[in-house]
Amino acid sequence: MTRPKRHAGLRNRIFIVLIILSNTFGNCLLAIGMQHMPDFWGTSFGAYLLALIGNPWILSGTALLTLWMVSQLSMFTWADLSYVLPVTASGYLVTAILGRWLLGEQVTAMRWGGTVLITLGSMVVSQTPVQTKARFHGRDE
Amino acid sequence: MTWLWVLVSVVSGTLGDVLGAKGMSERGEMVDFGPLGVARVLRYIATHRLVLVGIGCNAISFVSFLAVLSLAPLSFAVPATAMNYILKTLLAKWYLCEQVSWHRWAGVALVAAGLVMIAF
Repeated sequence: MTRPKRHAGLRNRIFIVLIILSNTFGNCLLAIGMQHMPDFWGTSFGAYLLALIGNPWILSGTALLTLWMVSQLSMFTWADLSYVLPVTASGYLVTAILGRWLLGEQVTAMRWGGTVLITLGSMVVSQTPVQTKARFHGRDE
Repeated sequence: MTWLWVLVSVVSGTLGDVLGAKGMSERGEMVDFGPLGVARVLRYIATHRLVLVGIGCNAISFVSFLAVLSLAPLSFAVPATAMNYILKTLLAKWYLCEQVSWHRWAGVALVAAGLVMIAF
């Protein structure tokens, strides 16, 4: 069994950045793709599905979100869920910036304030141990 | 209607991450990041029942998130679905038996406060 880890190492930093970037850019590509989609409620399911599959923005966004999911699942092998999720929430700041400057969305002062609070919350959690419970330490196979 | 899809996305996303974390924590810690190591992790993900159910829940969350995106801008949709952080932290403590210190709760409280500001 492993002892609780007290310090986040290089591996953590790399995965946190990977999770944040793949998630925020994946969401951004999806949002662009949705702008080129027919009305969700006024189209048959089959036609909507075909439009989804044929949309390169949606496909590339989905690919990035798949990378995000695999990276996050991999990090769960050594880090707590209650650590990984709030720490990677700082990606909301990146999302707000992309939404404002890349998609031209209106982000109010209230939303900027909320996004900053979310980012502060993730910074607080990042100061806690990566892993708080002893867990099985098997070989990497 | 927008908030209904937000609710579906939050509940399924919460179940997806909690079950995924439970399944992955039963595996040995990932230390090999070469092609073989990544292939072993992918094989584990593709064959572990809890992880697969978690991925299924996340797929439901993904589709409902697309529905939210079709009704609201990204700068609303993404933070609005972030209320699942509170649910996930509670389940991390009760179901995954993680030690959620006051430090972590403070971080989650800040995230929740940020969400309230964004929603209103």
